[in-house]
Amino acid sequence: MSSAQNRIQKSMENIQSTETMKQNTLRYLEAQRTGQSRVVFWQKPNAALRYAMAVVCIFLLAGTGGYSVYCSPVSYISIDVNPSIELAVNRFDRVVSATGYNADAQDVLQHVPLKNISYMQALDRLLQDAYYSRYLNRDSQLVVTVVSDHSDAMLEQIHANDSFQALDALTYSSDTACMKEAHQHEMSFGKYRAFLELSQYDADITVEDCHGMSMGEIQSRIKTCQGHNRKNAADGDSDKGHHSGHSSTHGHH
Amino acid sequence: MKSTEDVNRVMEAYADMVRRICFVHLKNRHDTEDVFQNVYMKYLLYESTFESAEHEKAWFVRVTINACTDWLRALSRRKWVPLDVLAEESTELDHSSKEVLEAVLKLPEKYRDVIYLFYYEGYTAVEIARILGKKENTIYTWLSRAKDILREKLGGDWS
Repeated sequence: MSSAQNRIQKSMENIQSTETMKQNTLRYLEAQRTGQSRVVFWQKPNAALRYAMAVVCIFLLAGTGGYSVYCSPVSYISIDVNPSIELAVNRFDRVVSATGYNADAQDVLQHVPLKNISYMQALDRLLQDAYYSRYLNRDSQLVVTVVSDHSDAMLEQIHANDSFQALDALTYSSDTACMKEAHQHEMSFGKYRAFLELSQYDADITVEDCHGMSMGEIQSRIKTCQGHNRKNAADGDSDKGHHSGHSSTHGHH
Repeated sequence: MKSTEDVNRVMEAYADMVRRICFVHLKNRHDTEDVFQNVYMKYLLYESTFESAEHEKAWFVRVTINACTDWLRALSRRKWVPLDVLAEESTELDHSSKEVLEAVLKLPEKYRDVIYLFYYEGYTAVEIARILGKKENTIYTWLSRAKDILREKLGGDWS
């Protein structure tokens, strides 16, 4: 054994898990085990079979057209902090798909099942989830963006949600053209909308830059630029950035 | 979902290792406790079976490093002073250990992992490359640079 190995081993031996740490974790896991039985329900084969039978019933009752209607999204919700998650919502207000647009989001989706529940339940479940909540710290910014023919009604519902109200969140509506463009850049449309807003003030910012930024960082830069622009306007030297993009966005802070 | 027996077994087997990997990455004991729980939560929900004990151990190494990286990223890429965590442990460390750990914690993050895995866990560069999903040559380069830095700071034989 080399002296280097000796020295590393000797010093590292001192770093050990404590009994409290282990016991707290075991208690936490046990609580999760009992609390998440509903989540696991969907993963068990017999539960999956029951679910399949329910789908078959839908087929029988409504014909094949019924299922395709169920699966067709009519609205989309982008939930961005650092994880960027998009929910596709059908005409019955149920989430038919949940997509993660970065590694954090994909990780969250592995822990928090959001499909086949109403979008309000999905949002509630996400915001109350301990795993997701670690992203909602003091420096973060939650932004919810909606693409829908009835986005105002959806945003009203979202605003009425208790978990949502507890956070200093921003909401916007966008459109399908912006969403399509966002997806070409492999970005959620909520984050892309924020990029478009920032690009109005900062001509040098690129989509690639925004890929690596959290919503908190983007919003902070927007605020800084807005403050700077206001100062310039007040000085009689107004220099307005060009209005890029085609997302009809509006804030509901 | 893994059984209570499985969870108890891996708690005994890997708790110290998970704690040490957290130590070389994270800011303080509070963060370590959170990431520690997250790692075991991932294990609880892990559906597949492990091919061997080595596979299981390598999974814990990989998942812990990822969990630490994710945690730090979630903290808005906040820069931290690695020695904060050392201060929390200082009462239990002698001067020599403190000096070595201080030098290790001052290494860039990627070097800390390879040094820990190579010198403490006894993995070869090839195994480390597989666990971290990197090319072997990258690991050799990282090891060599990390050793150079440690040699400069601590002296002695780092071959």
